[in-house]
Amino acid sequence: MTEEVSKNTPSQTRSKLWVDILIFFAFLVTMDPRSSGLAIHEWLSLSMLAAMTIHLLLNWEWIIQITSRFFSKLGGLNRVNYILNWLLFVDGTLIMISGIMISEVALPLIGIKLPQGFGWRRLHDMSANLFLLMLGVHTALHWNWIVNTLNRYLIQPVVRLFSSRPKKDVAA
Amino acid sequence: MKTLGRIFIILFAFVLLSGLMVTAVNASGMNQPNFGGDGDRPEFRPQGSEEGEFPFRPEGEEHEERGERGDRGGFGWIFGAVKNVGVISVLVVLIAWPRSLAKKKKKATAAL
Repeated sequence: MTEEVSKNTPSQTRSKLWVDILIFFAFLVTMDPRSSGLAIHEWLSLSMLAAMTIHLLLNWEWIIQITSRFFSKLGGLNRVNYILNWLLFVDGTLIMISGIMISEVALPLIGIKLPQGFGWRRLHDMSANLFLLMLGVHTALHWNWIVNTLNRYLIQPVVRLFSSRPKKDVAA
Repeated sequence: MKTLGRIFIILFAFVLLSGLMVTAVNASGMNQPNFGGDGDRPEFRPQGSEEGEFPFRPEGEEHEERGERGDRGGFGWIFGAVKNVGVISVLVVLIAWPRSLAKKKKKATAAL
């Protein structure tokens, strides 16, 4: 989240980082159904609803703070971020619901067969492409947070792990 | 309990939006197939209706046969992933880089 209102504990920040990395890679897999296969595409997409819910829960304080301050004093970047996040939510819902409507594997497996429609397929493709673009903007707006958090919780611990080994050897 | 309430709010928003979308699509008639049928109820046949007929694919989708929608042999998956990461990277460079440059410039002028 943006600097203005983020007050998270290190464990919360670490959880956010791992959930976000997981969502990002799951998104890359689901964006290419021809590679992953339709079954993986559909089941992984459905499980993304749970991942997105966790993502929203981890950022709940930010959502509440910005919602309550949206029409009063609020930094421009936070406002842009907030609107973009809502658009992502709406577009994500559209991807999910249109995907359910054209499901060929997941829903028939649990005994639900919906009439296939050209409109839903078209909407599914369009909303997925739009989501990719919005995700790019979302990533760009959080780039500083991504770099800093990756550095603090992933790169530095790994570097420390390797830099502390020779000292132990010397001491031994 | 607090977390459950929040999950309920998120799911409620999701269901509400889904309902609105289904209603909007059905009301707009976007999902009404206007081909393939000669009776009162036109039929939509995504897999092709008669023998030898091509299955229906929307515009822009590749027409070459690759088995099911889910098969792309060889290293095709790398191309797909690289393309998507590429799009995100371009947007990050276009947005984050000028922002970081502007920040540095601001810092430099403040230091003077």
